Amino acid sequence: MLKVRVVFFASLKESIGQSEYIAELSLPMSICELKHQLANELDKGQALLEKGIQSSIDFEFARDADIVPESVSEVAFFPPVTGG
Amino acid sequence: MILIQEEDFHVDVLYKSLLKANQTGAVAMFVGLVRQFSDLPKEACSFELEHYPGMTERNLQAIVDEANARWPLLDVCVVHRVGRLSVDDQIVFVGVSASHRSEAFQACDFIMDYLKSRAAFWKKESEGSESRWVEANTNDEKSLERWSK
Repeated sequence: MLKVRVVFFASLKESIGQSEYIAELSLPMSICELKHQLANELDKGQALLEKGIQSSIDFEFARDADIVPESVSEVAFFPPVTGG
Repeated sequence: MILIQEEDFHVDVLYKSLLKANQTGAVAMFVGLVRQFSDLPKEACSFELEHYPGMTERNLQAIVDEANARWPLLDVCVVHRVGRLSVDDQIVFVGVSASHRSEAFQACDFIMDYLKSRAAFWKKESEGSESRWVEANTNDEKSLERWSK
């Protein structure tokens, strides 16, 4: 099992009620599979399954099908960005 | 130069930082501001910008790198504020200097388009005791299509 820091931002952080979580991952695992694992483990984790939730692996945008690498240090989940 | 900061910025200072002696023929600049989003007096409204430290800087650098790859630019400056802001406050500055106006205009437009959809920032509007996160605008995503190679 690999311990990975997972962080949440903006409305998703408020929905889940926490800004970070240490997840234990059994690799190989996709971002989509990680979303579902967290949705089960966290009290309010279902918010992760809402449409449009985006992700990143080590500060680079990721897609649901992307595989979390063994070298990972941080995964993030967040709603669509709205800067500028 | 890419800066993410809580402090306000001075357009004249940023403009001067873009000038290259004997080379600059054009500078294009964009400033985004907090506009009134409520019927309440603006004193009752506030605006908050959250970002993802570490990722947002990378996002902006990737966008600036892509602009430099597409056009011959002399310098690029992006400043984006975070934290609590008020109506009429400045949010973002994008400035591009080049030898000619065409690439300066296009690169400035390109960087703002990508910043809206590819940089980790989130806006929250508050009026009185009510707050809401601003939802992404589908037109922002569509506007990227015009830059497809």
